[in-house]
Amino acid sequence: MSDALMDLAEQVVAHARRHGAQEVSVAVQEGSHTEISRRDEKVEQASESSTRRLSLSLLVDDRWSSHGTSDLRPDALEAFLARAVAATRLLEPDPDRALPPRELCGRGATEEHLDPFDPRWRTWTAGDRAERAEALEQAVLARRGDDFVSATVGVSDGSGRAVQVTSHGFADASEGAWFAQGASVTLADEGGRRPEGHAHYAARYLSDLPDLERIATEATERARDAVGSGPIASGRYPLVLQNRVAGRILGTLLGPLSGGAIHHGRSCLADKLGQPIGSAALTILDDPTIPRGLGSTPWDEDLLVARPRTIVQDGVLQSFYVSVYYARRLGWEPTTGSRSNWVLPAGTRPWTQIAAEHDRAILVTGFLGGNANPLTGDFSFGIRGRLLERGVPTARLSEMNVAGNVLTFFHQLTELADDPWTYSSTITPSLVFEDVSFSGT
Amino acid sequence: MPTSDPVAAHFAALGVDEALLGAALEAATAHGADAAELFVQHSTSTSIGLADRIVNRVHTSVDLGVGVRVVIGDQVGYAYTEDLSLEAVLRAAATASEIARHSGASRPTPVGVRAVARNLYPLSRSWTDVEIAERIPLIRHWEEGAFAADPRVRKVQVNLADGESRVLIARADGLRVTDLRPMTRAFVSVTVEDGDKKESGSYNVAGRTGLELYDAGRQERLVSQSVHRALRALEAGSPPAGELPVVMAAGSSGILLHEAIGHGLEADFNRKGISIFADKVGQAVATPEVTVVDDATLPGARGALNIDDEGNATERTVLVEGGVLKGYLHDGISARHYGVTPTGSGRRESFRHPVLPRMRCTYMEAGPHDPAEIIASTKQGIYCETFSNGQVQIGGGDFAFYVTFGYLIEDGRLTRPIKDVNLVGNGPKVLATIDMVGNDLEIDEGGWTCGKDGQGVPVSQGMPTVRVAKLSVGGGR
Repeated sequence: MSDALMDLAEQVVAHARRHGAQEVSVAVQEGSHTEISRRDEKVEQASESSTRRLSLSLLVDDRWSSHGTSDLRPDALEAFLARAVAATRLLEPDPDRALPPRELCGRGATEEHLDPFDPRWRTWTAGDRAERAEALEQAVLARRGDDFVSATVGVSDGSGRAVQVTSHGFADASEGAWFAQGASVTLADEGGRRPEGHAHYAARYLSDLPDLERIATEATERARDAVGSGPIASGRYPLVLQNRVAGRILGTLLGPLSGGAIHHGRSCLADKLGQPIGSAALTILDDPTIPRGLGSTPWDEDLLVARPRTIVQDGVLQSFYVSVYYARRLGWEPTTGSRSNWVLPAGTRPWTQIAAEHDRAILVTGFLGGNANPLTGDFSFGIRGRLLERGVPTARLSEMNVAGNVLTFFHQLTELADDPWTYSSTITPSLVFEDVSFSGT
Repeated sequence: MPTSDPVAAHFAALGVDEALLGAALEAATAHGADAAELFVQHSTSTSIGLADRIVNRVHTSVDLGVGVRVVIGDQVGYAYTEDLSLEAVLRAAATASEIARHSGASRPTPVGVRAVARNLYPLSRSWTDVEIAERIPLIRHWEEGAFAADPRVRKVQVNLADGESRVLIARADGLRVTDLRPMTRAFVSVTVEDGDKKESGSYNVAGRTGLELYDAGRQERLVSQSVHRALRALEAGSPPAGELPVVMAAGSSGILLHEAIGHGLEADFNRKGISIFADKVGQAVATPEVTVVDDATLPGARGALNIDDEGNATERTVLVEGGVLKGYLHDGISARHYGVTPTGSGRRESFRHPVLPRMRCTYMEAGPHDPAEIIASTKQGIYCETFSNGQVQIGGGDFAFYVTFGYLIEDGRLTRPIKDVNLVGNGPKVLATIDMVGNDLEIDEGGWTCGKDGQGVPVSQGMPTVRVAKLSVGGGR
């Protein structure tokens, strides 16, 4: 079968070697992206494009570089490669750069298992898309009240294919499709405030998206949850972290788990392998093989075979994210340099039941700004949410922050609820923490 | 004489000609349009990095393509292609034109070619003529300076990035304009150790300029400030939690304006009625001390632009004057909606993205107060000096910014250093409580990038020392 992308990638490997590169890794990606949004009962924006980009990394006399271009005209590409090799020669040698051993590279799960391409995508037309956007808008408008200001809905989809070729004999391709749809609703509030609510979903298969009524209801309810919101007194409260936003706090672990951060002395977790970094309730699996998973992949960024990996088991740190390069730098074995899907096993009780055991707790449903310092572990994020009194949502909260430190915070995890969120590469139920610091008034 | 005609030179460099542009605009407006344009762009960039005492990585990038946009009222059709062949560009134009199929609109009337005379970022040498070998000694110099600055410095990382973007905008109204936009940014990051304590610090400088950005003063600050920031973090502790008065230091504190009011004054949010500042033009939105400007015309600033990304002339736009809201940041769509002249605020990340109203360089004009007086008159609070990121909810008006370093203020004096804390507030509420504005306006020299709808664009920001009556401080104590 003729494969233009594969042919191009192989040519580029050959040309780069002719220019003097000893090792070459080339990726060529092409994709299409179509999007339609509606507001005020008409199309607000319609866009449709296909794109192609080539990226490569080179090793020239122990010197390493990376490059990318979308200018694939033959003359331009040839000149680009010549400049890329010449630029690399001017660097200083870095003996830890090399392609990983060929036998470590390859495919984990088969395309059949990963199931990333919904055949429905090939028959999904502009008319289907327009019809769905209109239906979603009507579902949102059907929920209009006196306080309605505006609603925007969006329906989008795309597909992509990537080939990977190396000078040491790796050659494979992967492809995938995706669909997304969502709504944003703005309502009127006191003092000219116009709080917003959003509900956006993405999935590999069209049929895995939630129905339009659910999206319309969620966007409207989330906007309503912000009406009349404000801060309550600063203090320490139990935290119920809603499943769909929990990735923001879990993500504070990622920086300090990276081999780069450890090597550069910027990780608060560098000496914690095999030690508890959280309560026994904390287990995190990294699984690149989940069928239709949004973070699933056959190989990692180094082309190492992508395999499921336990990051944290019963609170104990089991694995860092160590790329081939930083493994050599650190004198360790590589794991993988990049995360795929994160899975936190679900518990058995709904969060409402868990929260009912506390007089007062804070349900966090969204974040505003904030950041984390991977070296010290300190983090601080703005939040929105609800006060829970014996599990019952009361005051609507905003203009508040949650703060903590990665080294202690995950020890405060007491229970995972029964509601895993699957529309993300972080598949986690709602998480309950005790004794968390909130700032308000 | 094609060589003396800048537009013709861009045609040649981009590999397009008037015949292609004309045919594509004809296809784009086949169903009518209020406005339509082609945005042809060729970008090159180079980034060189040092770590572990070796200059050991280089990344180069090339991007070429054309975006086609068709506008009917507030409706937009958009398509792009990286293939500049007539066939591919016509296909993109036809796709974009679909938005107008049933609109009944007529085609824009050609008004002829206009030219932009000024150049806010003249280059003595193009970045494409600067050899890699010329950049490496700079990087080495900064690294060696950082190690020499203090024995507690353990690790140094340096990055020097630069590039050029050549754009050509061809509009259905006949306008043909071009712009050659340089950009550079240098970043030094150090890790220090003192006993069992470890901290990091960084400093960066950026500008829409050439190699001349790296004068002696900026090179010195890259080295000394990155080391200074890491060392002082060793002494910094956890900030308090709760509502406190906040003094914002001059310079990058402009992040407060960017989040508290800048985004809310982008006209797309206002014409849709979803900004908390919608319908407030002519009203007091801040204390009389506050005048806020968004300025594209500061020579060499990271946010400077000769023309915006739909070909309109840029300007210094006064948003708030003496506390009163004067207007919004407009692209062509919102300018037509409001019946005003565009402010030259239509920007996009690249040819892959449609235009949105965006900030350029946002700052507050200086006020009457001595900065020392502002601190001295604050009994208790926090003083914010460096920042990493921020966010805003356009409709609700709540905003946040993350403070990487500051001090406690106790009895009118800066006392204990603090770090890593998020501050949140509500835009209109905060602007109404800015009670002292310093006489020390400073435009930050660092490289800020603003995100909106998934598009990042380079911006600048500035601020005099300013006091805010209260913000919620997200400390752990």
